Amino acid sequence: MMRTAISILKKDLRMEFRSKESILAMWIFSLLIFVIFNFTFEVSRLVMLEIAPGLLWVAFVFSGMFGLNQSFALEKENGNLRAMALMPVDGGQIYVGKFFSVTIIMLMFEALIFPIFVIFYDLQLSLGMFRLIPVLLAGTIGFTSLGTILSAVAVHTRNQQILLSLLLWPLVSPIIIWSVTLTGMVLSGEVTEAFYPLLVRVGAFDVIFFTLSYMLFDFILED
Amino acid sequence: MGVPALEVLGVSKDFGRIIALRGVTFSVQAGEFVSILGRNGAGKTTLLNIVSGVSRPSEGEVKLFGTDPSDRENKAKLAVISHEMFLYGNLTAIENLEYYSRIYNVPDAKQRVEEVLSDVELTHRRFDLVATYSRGMTQRLTIARALLHEPSLLLLDEPFTGLDQHAIGMLITLLKKQKEMGRTILLTTHDLHTATELSDRYIVISKHKIVKDGLIADTSPDAIREKFFSAEAGGLES
Repeated sequence: MMRTAISILKKDLRMEFRSKESILAMWIFSLLIFVIFNFTFEVSRLVMLEIAPGLLWVAFVFSGMFGLNQSFALEKENGNLRAMALMPVDGGQIYVGKFFSVTIIMLMFEALIFPIFVIFYDLQLSLGMFRLIPVLLAGTIGFTSLGTILSAVAVHTRNQQILLSLLLWPLVSPIIIWSVTLTGMVLSGEVTEAFYPLLVRVGAFDVIFFTLSYMLFDFILED
Repeated sequence: MGVPALEVLGVSKDFGRIIALRGVTFSVQAGEFVSILGRNGAGKTTLLNIVSGVSRPSEGEVKLFGTDPSDRENKAKLAVISHEMFLYGNLTAIENLEYYSRIYNVPDAKQRVEEVLSDVELTHRRFDLVATYSRGMTQRLTIARALLHEPSLLLLDEPFTGLDQHAIGMLITLLKKQKEMGRTILLTTHDLHTATELSDRYIVISKHKIVKDGLIADTSPDAIREKFFSAEAGGLES
């Protein structure tokens, strides 16, 4: 049943590792954000700790937008989007394949950019930082589960990037805001009892977005 | 006579105020080779999109092998060759074909991939990225990709466009072979000579509706051109 999803995932990752187009562009874009913010604002460490979580997620989601746009732009090339519509498979399987490829590429990018972020903003690493892993996972999955289906909608239009932004931001904002809050708690070392319920809430949104997208993807592929 | 491979029943399609097809009705028996002829914008590609299940008609119904064209079983029996390649430039020929063989669940995939590559004379370039291929080579690989899962129904949308003579000759040979194998083929083309050489039947679409459905044996390319595509009739190109 997962054969199609795995085939699409393998194909996307192979193409990405060969060209490194998305991950390089995302990495350079984030690096620029960190450099500009670091050298523009002379702020104390205390203030930096307050803005760092937001800054980190600004880098993640803006770079993630590039990854999402790329994901279906390469399907549009040579009519592959139509080839997908012709495939004798459940559209949900295509969604799962595309979702995992975008998510893996974004998580890899996050793993590569986070050490740079730590160096630039002189963050103290501690064991408590491991709590960032579920936060980044949940926030990223929420962003990509919704972003994957909306990217498939937007790719049919002429102004793909603008439409994707317009559709995605209002819907994904709660997840990003909660992820920033959770990241702030971890980076400041002040993990309160609100941490886990908020993390569960992000996870619940992930499940809802993923399930709805899986069910609706067949309709997206039609003309 | 059994269930037709394809039935198009009163199909109309509009895109807002733009009419693409009006009350198109015809059927194609299994093993038949039918050419759809018509000027640019007549509605040929729209018809093929509806037949392949990618687009839904505004009115009417299409049946593939007696059922809905968007059924997964029907999609597995179908292949489309058009000016769109359905290939990834950043993958090699063999990677493209292996990808599609997994999607279409092709048995003995490795052997089948080698077979179709050999049929289109691309074995020597199988490990090269498709982006490095010429237009003719890419179109040959497109044909290999379409035949990979041995479809029962082939839909060809202007497949000769942009091909060199060698590639056209190879495609004609392959299509004749598919016809001999009993495959049902629906072709849209501007090339009347090729259409009459290959087909059993022809359908002329003009102004979004069928104006002629006849047997090739009863006519000639010149007669079709004279009657439907002469300067007085508006020419073959719009």
